[in-house]
Amino acid sequence: MMLMKESVVMKIHYGTALGAVFLTVIHILMRMTQDFHESLEFENVLANYEMLGYAILLELLLILVSVHGFNGLRVILLEIKQGPTYEKAVSYGCVAAMAILIAYGTRTILMAHLGMV
Amino acid sequence: MEKEPKSREGIKGWINPAKYGKFGIERFAWILMRITGLGLLAYFIAHIYETSNILNGKEVWDEMLAMTQTTEGHIFLALVIGMCVFHTGNGIRLMLVQMGYGVGKAQRPDYPYKPQSLNMKGKACIYATIGIAALAMWYGITVMFG
Repeated sequence: MMLMKESVVMKIHYGTALGAVFLTVIHILMRMTQDFHESLEFENVLANYEMLGYAILLELLLILVSVHGFNGLRVILLEIKQGPTYEKAVSYGCVAAMAILIAYGTRTILMAHLGMV
Repeated sequence: MEKEPKSREGIKGWINPAKYGKFGIERFAWILMRITGLGLLAYFIAHIYETSNILNGKEVWDEMLAMTQTTEGHIFLALVIGMCVFHTGNGIRLMLVQMGYGVGKAQRPDYPYKPQSLNMKGKACIYATIGIAALAMWYGITVMFG
């Protein structure tokens, strides 16, 4: 993030926000295709993961929300306190946390999609 | 060369009630945007962990689901819906403001120096966003408890 201008980072922040809103609406609508409680049953959720299109949507949603969320956290932390070392630690920490979350979520999506349950 | 002054108030500046009286609903929207953002990030991390339980089989999934399918769980989810809708609505308002929409025409700064950007359009958008978030929460509650 430090290699990027803040104006570019904010454009990414807004872009990921709009993308995430669009995909979240589809994600929620998938719960409305049947009874809410029924849609959360093991077989139904697993069937969702097994659909390639929906698995791709989940992966995109994971990436967009993670990038937006951790950049938002970075902005909040930099508003609270400033300083070269602090700013570096916050930026690298947020990127690392984002990468870990994306990796963990991707593992779930991949394994569930491939039927490794 | 003189050093640029830093923001020294930190978290105390967030919770200072004097700021809310001075800046009104815009200040309230500012803090709510941060609180809902942090809340949604915390929920998102928990949701990623929660859904990873699908890999542990039906029994573990059902146990985890039973924990969330309670009155408290539904109220918590309704709060998440409210946070999500407010954060989205206010975020779109901020994007439009940053693109120059609804901020009013530039004017000579005369006393009492009211900023053009903090106008009635902005205030109305904030109130409307809060209203829509409340409606979404109510709809979520009817679906979850229905």
